[in-house]
Amino acid sequence: MRKCRYENLIDDYLFGRLSKEKREEFEEHLFNCPRCFEETKERNELILVVKDKGDSIFKDIRIEEEAKSRVSEKIFGFLSPKPLISAATTAALVLIIVFGIIPNVTHKTPEFIVSDDAVRGGSITLISEAIPSEFKWEALGEDIVYKVFIYNDELLWEKSTKNNYISLPEKIKAKMTPGKSYSWQVKAFSSQGTLISASSKVQFTWQNIN
Amino acid sequence: MKKKDNSYDIEKITAEYRPLVTFKVKKSIGAHTPEWEDIVNEIMLNAIEKIKSGQFKGDSSVGTFIYTITRRRIVDYIRRKKKIAVKYLPDSDPFPDPHEQIEDKERAELLAKKLEELKPKYKTILYLYYYKDLSRKEVAKRLGISPRNVSERVHYAQKLLRKLMKK
Repeated sequence: MRKCRYENLIDDYLFGRLSKEKREEFEEHLFNCPRCFEETKERNELILVVKDKGDSIFKDIRIEEEAKSRVSEKIFGFLSPKPLISAATTAALVLIIVFGIIPNVTHKTPEFIVSDDAVRGGSITLISEAIPSEFKWEALGEDIVYKVFIYNDELLWEKSTKNNYISLPEKIKAKMTPGKSYSWQVKAFSSQGTLISASSKVQFTWQNIN
Repeated sequence: MKKKDNSYDIEKITAEYRPLVTFKVKKSIGAHTPEWEDIVNEIMLNAIEKIKSGQFKGDSSVGTFIYTITRRRIVDYIRRKKKIAVKYLPDSDPFPDPHEQIEDKERAELLAKKLEELKPKYKTILYLYYYKDLSRKEVAKRLGISPRNVSERVHYAQKLLRKLMKK
């Protein structure tokens, strides 16, 4: 069976990457092409299951990845400031890192995995801080209420704020396990409570080097 | 869509387009919005009324006609709700919406099980592309294949899952 030219747009449509005109053209097509609608519905279902149950579905791949990351963590461990390291050594390390002699050391705590198109369907840009005690995102305007969600397999914590940053309470941090993957998401609401925009869930791993 | 007497088959139209309207409404206003079902009912009733009364003259396809009604109704709903934040109109289509879940839980469980059974080649691509949210380019770079190959592999994985789900 010949492939419909709209099939290539399914992912872009689902992740909100199409322009308004393209999106409407695609949607009109869905209403006229049962095959593309079935395909889109099926893909939507697949992505929802992957997002919802991915932790267990990809357990083996994740274990493999974590093992790899532990190896780099060990290497990085030498660079972490410890009480016995003298101030001079620390200063020297800072200089080394700042001047890029070791430019490829990217293992910070925690590691946020933010790709070019990770922010989807909205106008919020997620800006991660090196330390997960604070989460920041780009402000959308005045009178906006942001709702921040932290997920493990399920929703771990949610909190509303009018600021474009939020701190994690200690009791939530205590619930988080080093090495495990979490994700966070921000939704923006108007002062009347209407959803204006939502970021995608962005993953991060809490990597305890202390 | 038409019966022998040239009138529109309303039952058939409802059966075919209600899932489409539901999909679009939920996607646009969020599956967690309790009004979604009322809006779907309203759109379908409106469309059927217009078809029955002859206001729909067949200038476009039935699909395009129902899509136009759906889109207008959603814009209207969001406009009314978002008087303050007008610049973000017409809709933000958040995806994946964490509140949206597959209605059929058993089906979701089965799909998860089948996903686990996939060959590493396909499982890895779904892991990187959908679970880790990497772009097509990044996935391609990681696996040493072309971005086009990424799409093809995802498409093939979906095809395999479809087969496995039917077994």
